[in-house]
Amino acid sequence: MSDAQILDRGYRRFEGSRSGLSGAVRSVAWHTTRSILGLGRKARHKVFPIIVLVVSFVPAIVFMALTVLIGDLLEGDLRPEYWEMFGFSFAATIVFVALVAPEAIVRDRRDGMFALYMSTPLARPSYLLAKVLAVMATMALIVVGPPVLFLIGYTFQSLGPESVLDWISVMGRILLAGLAICTVYTAVSLGVSSLTDRRAFASIAVVFVLLGASISARLLVDQAGFSDTWRILDPINGTLEIAPRLFGDRGDEFGDISTWLVVLGSSAWTAFGAALLVGRYRKLAAV
Amino acid sequence: MSGVVPPSRAVQLAYGIVLRQLVTRARIAALLLVGAATAAIAVAVGASDDRRDPLETGVQLISSLHFTLLVPIIALVFATAALGDMREDGTLVYLWLRPMDRWPIVVGAWLASITLSLPLTIVPLVISSVAVDGGNNLVTATVLAGVVGVIAYSALFVLLGLMLKNSIVWGLGYVMIWEGLIAAFGSFAAKLAIRGYTRSILTSITDVDLDLGDLSLTVGVVVPVFVAAAALVLAGARLRAMDVD
Amino acid sequence: MADWAPPVARPPTPPAPDPNAIVVVANVTKSFGDVVAVSDVSFTVGPGVTALLGPNGAGKSTLFRVMCGLTAPTRGTVKVLGVDARIDRAVRGRIGLAPQQDALFDRLSAHRFVEVAARTHGVSDADAAARQVLDLVELDADDPKPVGAFSKGMRQRVKLAAALVHDPDLLILDEPLTGLDPVQRNRMIRLFHQLGDDGKCLLVSSHVLDEVARLGSRVLVIAQGRLAATGDYRDLRTLMDDRPHRIRVATDGARVLAAALVERDLVDGVSVSFDSLMVDTNDVDRFGRNIAAVAKQCGVRLREVEPTDDDLESVFRYLVERR
Repeated sequence: MSDAQILDRGYRRFEGSRSGLSGAVRSVAWHTTRSILGLGRKARHKVFPIIVLVVSFVPAIVFMALTVLIGDLLEGDLRPEYWEMFGFSFAATIVFVALVAPEAIVRDRRDGMFALYMSTPLARPSYLLAKVLAVMATMALIVVGPPVLFLIGYTFQSLGPESVLDWISVMGRILLAGLAICTVYTAVSLGVSSLTDRRAFASIAVVFVLLGASISARLLVDQAGFSDTWRILDPINGTLEIAPRLFGDRGDEFGDISTWLVVLGSSAWTAFGAALLVGRYRKLAAV
Repeated sequence: MSGVVPPSRAVQLAYGIVLRQLVTRARIAALLLVGAATAAIAVAVGASDDRRDPLETGVQLISSLHFTLLVPIIALVFATAALGDMREDGTLVYLWLRPMDRWPIVVGAWLASITLSLPLTIVPLVISSVAVDGGNNLVTATVLAGVVGVIAYSALFVLLGLMLKNSIVWGLGYVMIWEGLIAAFGSFAAKLAIRGYTRSILTSITDVDLDLGDLSLTVGVVVPVFVAAAALVLAGARLRAMDVD
Repeated sequence: MADWAPPVARPPTPPAPDPNAIVVVANVTKSFGDVVAVSDVSFTVGPGVTALLGPNGAGKSTLFRVMCGLTAPTRGTVKVLGVDARIDRAVRGRIGLAPQQDALFDRLSAHRFVEVAARTHGVSDADAAARQVLDLVELDADDPKPVGAFSKGMRQRVKLAAALVHDPDLLILDEPLTGLDPVQRNRMIRLFHQLGDDGKCLLVSSHVLDEVARLGSRVLVIAQGRLAATGDYRDLRTLMDDRPHRIRVATDGARVLAAALVERDLVDGVSVSFDSLMVDTNDVDRFGRNIAAVAKQCGVRLREVEPTDDDLESVFRYLVERR
């Protein structure tokens, strides 16, 4: 009996199992994350994400180092709270936010990949879900990373929460605060980025909206004497205020504003961004 | 037959080509909207009865809203695109492979970008400084600082556009991270940021203190202009030496 | 008997001085990082049409860019009209380049685009020059439509017009016939010949053999960054002596004739079909002198004797595929 066999008959259909819609969403989310972080691409695509990551983590690392070296002298107000790590490198955060969302969705429209995705099991909602997951995951690196590192550092120095339950509680609050902050930034940046087909302009627009609204809100309150409530229009500081509230604390500037108003302000920004994004993609032709 | 194009004519030709490329309806409309928004904030602040000293309020507003955000970013949008867009889309060859020197091309591109940046920044600046009722000193200071800022930022970003892909992102990084974060860590670092000089012009003329704005008026004007000239010289050298697609 | 030595490939030599040369490329190598795009290429080009032939990625566009001075060679020198275009301002006014990339100033009309090209070349009456050259490439100078809305073929013609408007001595055209319909292609090829006859030096690149064959017989064949051959492609075929010529003979007595040719050692190989033979022979001249006599002796009639690999495609395949 001959054991000869033909191994290659050319093109054949794929007969294996298909991962379906969830697999498609996972795949797009992972590919987008890689693209944002420059993974699998030349070194120059990684430079900017690395710079931003470093700048974001520097305050946490510096404070941890100080704790190790002169921990005894850092008592009371000199020792930062966990939630304070969220706001230290907000400039780097804003630049990263302005970079990430355009990279995630503008490139697909420009290169024609969006049309290609729409010819797969992905529909607009599932496509956007994949993009939201990717943007939030990468944003979480620099938003949640520093406070988590800080918690771990404090724990190693025996300065962290006393019991395991307390530790889990603190970690949970850090993650929840990070989730809230990332949700607002993701919604606004994706929404604004959906309005233009050029990544550079999308980045500029994100900066103008986030930073412009933030500076304007502060000016109206600090300089023009508007009521403190107007601060909830600040998408940067208003969103960061969620972090101290989860720890039962209040930021200096938002002291007189109720937690519900803070949440309302952040929710309004999220809704604004989401409405822009969904509205734009509903009308977008897949060609 | 053609001949060598003299520098003055080359500047004129480059200016015309780049200006036409930079003027797009969407770009101008979006930046007009942003300028209008900043002016609206200033009007709201100026109309408020609860504000503090008008001059101090005005300086804070102009410094934080215009010189932190509007001026550098509008300059960034036009200046990086001036030659950067042509480099990236492959049309730079239509300016480069010509019987002309390189520096007039750079100068023409820079002039085109400030032709658009200046009105889009100075007009909202003037409206804002008038709206907050800070007096003539504030108006003078903002116009001078605005012109100096646009000249310096534009030259720097023309160079950036020639050197780097995704130059707008790098420019944003300079404005937000370097000027926003690092320069705040000391007066030496602030001397390496154009924002330090525009602030110094504001403080020198209005006598209102601003962080990291303690250089003299002369230094505040001369150094950015010198930086602009140096950036343009480097851009010319870069244009001469670079590979063109 | 002399010791046999394997044939040694001739190393590229710098071109001998040629007073009519418009472009002199001497030992040019261009690398981008670790990638060698052009490797030790030397040739001269004078007036007339010369085709630069090579597959995609062979280095044609890179070579053109080096010639125009758009990029500096890593090694070697390029002289256009005796000077380096990267340094000499004046010579850039004597070069017309139609690059491969599609990018144009999309918001300008064709006339405006070509007029700008004329002005930036220092042409005094740019409007008239633009109109004249647009007429030459059969585009309407009064069409207000921006070039961004043009078809591929129209954009090619705009590029060509912009390259011609200042009456350059050297025209470098990178795949200029891409996107043109057959009628336009014929017209452009006629235009190129006309320009060549007027004393201009045209370097036209293509990877389409049919186009190149119609452009003229002088070719530069480039493959994997190296210059594989230069000269008339028919002469190149004759030089390919390590490859037998293949000839088709149509006859009414194929088998009889085949046997006779083999017996007389006139062929190296033969394949027979119903009414024709395909023969391989290393001595085309001897075969050609004897085929008629052999046919007569065999009593068969010859209907056709046709070389099947005397064309550019065979030359190209030989030069490119053997690498």
